[in-house]
Amino acid sequence: MLWLLVKVNLLQTWRRLLSVRQQSWLLTTVIAMFLAGYAALAFVLFYKGLKFAGSFPGLGHVLIERMMFLLFAFLFVLLLLSNMIVSYTSLFKNRETLFLLPLPVPIQTIFQWKFVESAILASWAFLFLVAPMVAAYGLTQQVPWHFYPATLLLILLAIVIPACGGAWCALLLARFLDRRSFQIGLLATAAMLIVVGAVWLKPVGVTDEELETRVLIVLDRLLGKTRFALFPFLPSYWVATGVQQWAEGALEDAAFYALVMASNALFFGTLALTLTGTAFYNAASVVQSRGSALGRWEWYQTWRKRRAVDARQHGPVDRLISVIPRLRPDKRALIVKDIRVFWRDTTQWGQTVVLFGLLAVYILNLRHFGAQLTSPFWSHVVSYLNLCACALNLATVTTRFVYPQFSLEGKRVWIVGMAPIGLPQVMITKFALTTVVSLCVTVGLMLLSGWMLKLEIEKLADLGLSAVVMTFTLNALAIGLGALYPNLKEDNPNRIVSGFGGTFCLVASFLYIVISIAILAASSPWGRGGRIDLSWVLGGRAVFLGLSCAVGLIPLRSGLRRLAKFEL
Amino acid sequence: MIELINLVKKFGALVAVNNVTLTVPRGEFFALLGPNAAGKTTTIKMIAGLMKPTSGSVRVSGYDVVQQPLEARRQLAYVPDFPFLYDKLTPWEFFRFIGQLFLMDSARIERVARDLCARFSLDPYLGNPIESLSHGTRQKVAIVSALLHEPSVFVLDEPMVGIDPQHARVLKDILKERSRAGTTVFISTHQLSVAEEMADRIGIMHEGRLIAVGTRDDLRRQSGTDGALEQTFLALTAQESAVDMQGVGQKFGL
Repeated sequence: MLWLLVKVNLLQTWRRLLSVRQQSWLLTTVIAMFLAGYAALAFVLFYKGLKFAGSFPGLGHVLIERMMFLLFAFLFVLLLLSNMIVSYTSLFKNRETLFLLPLPVPIQTIFQWKFVESAILASWAFLFLVAPMVAAYGLTQQVPWHFYPATLLLILLAIVIPACGGAWCALLLARFLDRRSFQIGLLATAAMLIVVGAVWLKPVGVTDEELETRVLIVLDRLLGKTRFALFPFLPSYWVATGVQQWAEGALEDAAFYALVMASNALFFGTLALTLTGTAFYNAASVVQSRGSALGRWEWYQTWRKRRAVDARQHGPVDRLISVIPRLRPDKRALIVKDIRVFWRDTTQWGQTVVLFGLLAVYILNLRHFGAQLTSPFWSHVVSYLNLCACALNLATVTTRFVYPQFSLEGKRVWIVGMAPIGLPQVMITKFALTTVVSLCVTVGLMLLSGWMLKLEIEKLADLGLSAVVMTFTLNALAIGLGALYPNLKEDNPNRIVSGFGGTFCLVASFLYIVISIAILAASSPWGRGGRIDLSWVLGGRAVFLGLSCAVGLIPLRSGLRRLAKFEL
Repeated sequence: MIELINLVKKFGALVAVNNVTLTVPRGEFFALLGPNAAGKTTTIKMIAGLMKPTSGSVRVSGYDVVQQPLEARRQLAYVPDFPFLYDKLTPWEFFRFIGQLFLMDSARIERVARDLCARFSLDPYLGNPIESLSHGTRQKVAIVSALLHEPSVFVLDEPMVGIDPQHARVLKDILKERSRAGTTVFISTHQLSVAEEMADRIGIMHEGRLIAVGTRDDLRRQSGTDGALEQTFLALTAQESAVDMQGVGQKFGL
């Protein structure tokens, strides 16, 4: 039975691959170039980084070793999270699962198939991310050829453990948490991680004398915060040690860690493949008939009753939006609808929280650099790198969330299409909403980072204004391309984004950011050792504004024209 | 045969299905009616095994859906209101896949599928990917795939949605034929004309309870109306709402 499910899904996948021939060659080329470009760039960066770290006499080896442990530890955490999200979607939000449940397929078999499918979907990116690093590590360490297949085997074994962990976490979430509890839990966890990250990553004070005389002790102290990656019960420790031992020719030790991984993978894999069916069925039944996990508490029941009574009253979002003066009721209704739909889909904003939460942790830690970046050059470089990181993050968010905004109206597009507001106005309202929300986040983060770096007010204003222009441009690009390449048949935003328009939007956004940052940094009034050439500065700013207008306005206007003639 | 025994389903504090007991014998065509949120789809999902009852049990052809799920599912076919299909497969590949899941041999799959495809005029589409088919054609593919293994219990949730009148007639004929041949047919519908024309017995659900079960004439007598099923349905659900309001009034001393 499992083989039958695998076979039919392989056939589907094969057909999807064949259909690549029918899709735009431009899209295929862009995706292929993007993947190859990423792999090549990652390889070069890892290779140069490892070479550089290895060049410190006596310390290089320790540094490289610790970096490998850390990298595998973080990749494992990401892999666990990715498995959890993909497993939850495949097991409980997937139409194939609902289709299979009433068929005479054993529940355990359905779980087996979904487990395998989720593990593959969640882990292929891990292999893709790790491959350039392993190749660079192998080259710098001048390893024999058998290092590469052995490492592949170790990593394949390592994938099973987070796959099991992710699937079980997904089952527990589905069984015990409803949407509201999950939202509260997610926000609490994100807040906690930001606080822990900000507290944990404090700078370590080192005197010049210590640096010269007691290098190893200082290094040990500096690396103290990363010692958690050396905890010997972590699967990431086993795989990192196995890889390093194999590279050093200690094959017996490497084999030992491979066997530790194999035994764990077999143990947890067997548990998942043979004993999880009933737990899956119970969780699936609960998801189908979800009452609130808080439903047993009296205060919650009272709150629900009050909400039922207040159902005809305006909610907090209505009240918030009604504060905006001179906003037409139809546009207000659209904005309230979009905010509610976004808020009620946890998977949508959950990813945004993760992306910007990580950026916030990074920016909060800049306060430690503020005192140390005495050189104006480095202060200058870091401030533009911040702008770049912020804009790249925003580009990911606009491509993932803003681009599919029009397509997500989907089969319901007739509702707004038939309303006496017109689709172009719908698009402009969406643009206004996403831009205002993005502005709050990006400008806020830019100001925070400037404050942390103790930048002068002029520099802060310059960076803030650049962030404002880039936010407008990236939102206009995403909304415009979303209207030019709509996919009204698809309800899943991930699939909408993975089409030609979404890929084009991401690539165009990234190129725009890289070019803009280069122009801004090169024409910065603070970047040439204090020598200000006004015409150079103004020229650079004018080019940046011109580029932004072209990248933002052309797709936005084309999208508006397309919607004006759109046939429902 | 379908047996619902003291079936209860609670969603938190809400009782979606409230102590429903019902037996639909072999070969009966049973239609379940009710206003929105009456508990029809929840009941159907429990029969299909998509959801576990909070208490009580469901038996399909004598097999308990929770205790003996595989045996029960071998007897059952279920078509939801918006069925899932593998978009990249062709209808014929999909039929073969479903037949294999029910352990049918190739010759039998081919024979039954050919006959059903001819009746639903699906032959021109058999080689096209399902993703290219219209909503109605996809619905017909789902129905053919469900009928393929000749189930002894056939459960359909709003089966006529999206199907043109010509093929709605074909579906009705097939359901009637199957029911005469011994298949238990259980449908949930808002189209009262379908229930009126096809059903041997009709059940009416209201706020999770099965408030009336019987033949067309039984329901007429119970409601005290004489005329179309619509009047009977409206009278029965209105009576029940009045009883509920009276209960609320008494509780608060009004």
